[in-house]
Amino acid sequence: MTTAILARGLVRDFKTVRALDHVDLEVPAGIVFGFLGPNGAGKTTLIRVLLGLVTPNAGETRVFGVDPTRDGAAVRARTGALLEHHGLYERLTAEQNLAFHARAWRIPRPEAVARIAELLRGLGLWERRGERVGTWSRGMKQKLAVARAVLHRPPLVFLDEPTAGLDPVASATLRDDIERLARDEGVTVFLTTHNLQEAERLCASVGVIRRGTLLAVGSPADLRAQRSTSVVRVQARSWPPEVRAALGTHPAVRAVADDAGTLRLTLHHPDATPELVRWLVGHGLDLEAVTPERASFEQAFLDLVRDADGARAP
Amino acid sequence: MITDLWTVIRKEWIEILDQFSRFKRGGWSVLLVILFLGVFVPLQIGPEWAVTPAMFFYWPFLTASMTSTIVTDSVAGERERHTLETLLASRLPDAAILLGKVIAAVLYGYAFALTNLAIGMITVTVRFGEAAVYMSWTRFAVLLSLIGGSALLVSGLGLAVSLRTATVRQAQQLFGVFLLGATMLPLAALAALGETRQAAIVAWAQQAGIEAIGAWASVIMTGVGAVLTGWAVLRFGRGTRVLED
Repeated sequence: MTTAILARGLVRDFKTVRALDHVDLEVPAGIVFGFLGPNGAGKTTLIRVLLGLVTPNAGETRVFGVDPTRDGAAVRARTGALLEHHGLYERLTAEQNLAFHARAWRIPRPEAVARIAELLRGLGLWERRGERVGTWSRGMKQKLAVARAVLHRPPLVFLDEPTAGLDPVASATLRDDIERLARDEGVTVFLTTHNLQEAERLCASVGVIRRGTLLAVGSPADLRAQRSTSVVRVQARSWPPEVRAALGTHPAVRAVADDAGTLRLTLHHPDATPELVRWLVGHGLDLEAVTPERASFEQAFLDLVRDADGARAP
Repeated sequence: MITDLWTVIRKEWIEILDQFSRFKRGGWSVLLVILFLGVFVPLQIGPEWAVTPAMFFYWPFLTASMTSTIVTDSVAGERERHTLETLLASRLPDAAILLGKVIAAVLYGYAFALTNLAIGMITVTVRFGEAAVYMSWTRFAVLLSLIGGSALLVSGLGLAVSLRTATVRQAQQLFGVFLLGATMLPLAALAALGETRQAAIVAWAQQAGIEAIGAWASVIMTGVGAVLTGWAVLRFGRGTRVLED
């Protein structure tokens, strides 16, 4: 399988801030890869390094085998990008914006005309193609910016929060389009998003970054399975107060929540469930049901980030 | 490279023309300028308007003023409107982006000057007769080169300033300071030469004639403009510009 993106030991500092801290990453071609992390984690910096816009202080990167530090132009010729800002020329019309980028990527005119029409119709923007983009809503601009990113059919597309500002229908349509790009056209999509449900649905693989450190890489299912905590719902005939209190200090239990008589126990480790059940039975509880909760991707993400913060705390 | 240059020039011109086409949003000011420079002033000055030596200062100065409004927006404006990073993430080379903007500004300067010159010539011809406005081809060629030289000088300086400022307003302010310096420097240098050398220069100028002076001035302005533009292109640095965005 071709590797679209390769990073080894990537470091990038900005004065006293380490934006990327020895990041190792490998993204195979033809998938949607989600890059997740809190604000300021280093997501945008990595994209800039991969596009050859920013030089790393250490480490190496390859985009389809090309070093963006040495030959950024070659990398950019094979990529499309929707970055932090939509980057549209608001004095130009939608059609003029796309036509400019079509010329920038040297798409032959007949092909450009057809491609622009296809994209604008597909996004429901065709009727308004002659309007200045400055008069559009944020969601419409975002759709047009995505169209611009994929206009020249690049094999790799960077999308920085593409569904931000879109209404639910538009978001759903765009997600379908992103999925189709990877599935049917073999485009590699490098996606950053704060919408974890979107990431879980779209991404074959995700990376989680926090303060420049890559915490985990894997499929959403793998990350859920690796989750450092698990949750079990325990129903008992009654909960003696002393048992309830002791649960809160049990070494295997991280948190206890009462849900209408059922206790929702967050454990430090998924394997702690049998030990906990033995403890509860040993304390005379009449257990009615012990039901593991399916770990959510969001919880796995939050656990990763919190564990990283906890590891850093003095 | 030529294709990429044309791509940038075309985009810049569409944005310039959009500005003028919106009458209520400032497009009327262009019409006013044309009426003033192309009709009112020629009528006031009379037949001499077309052939006075003052033309050799008047048109380059005008061109420089108008070109500066375009070129100071060239990079600072893209940064302010958050389009710079996307532009730099495209496959367009640095040189095409920057030279395209300079060429667009120079062409704007030419278009502005020639439009007003043409309208003025028509005005004076209609009012005072065709014989009053004869201008030799030599003089016309020197005038064209002065217009181009001043546009390129201002474009090069404006680009260098625009690269280093966060907003268009800052670029215009800084540019004004540099332009003042560029204007005062030759005068200061002349004053520092002393009376003997000044007299020699005046004598040379009187002997050489206005066309020769104009030709030399255009060569110097073109040279300095080309150096400034080349320096800006070499020092561009995508990474620095992206991080400043």
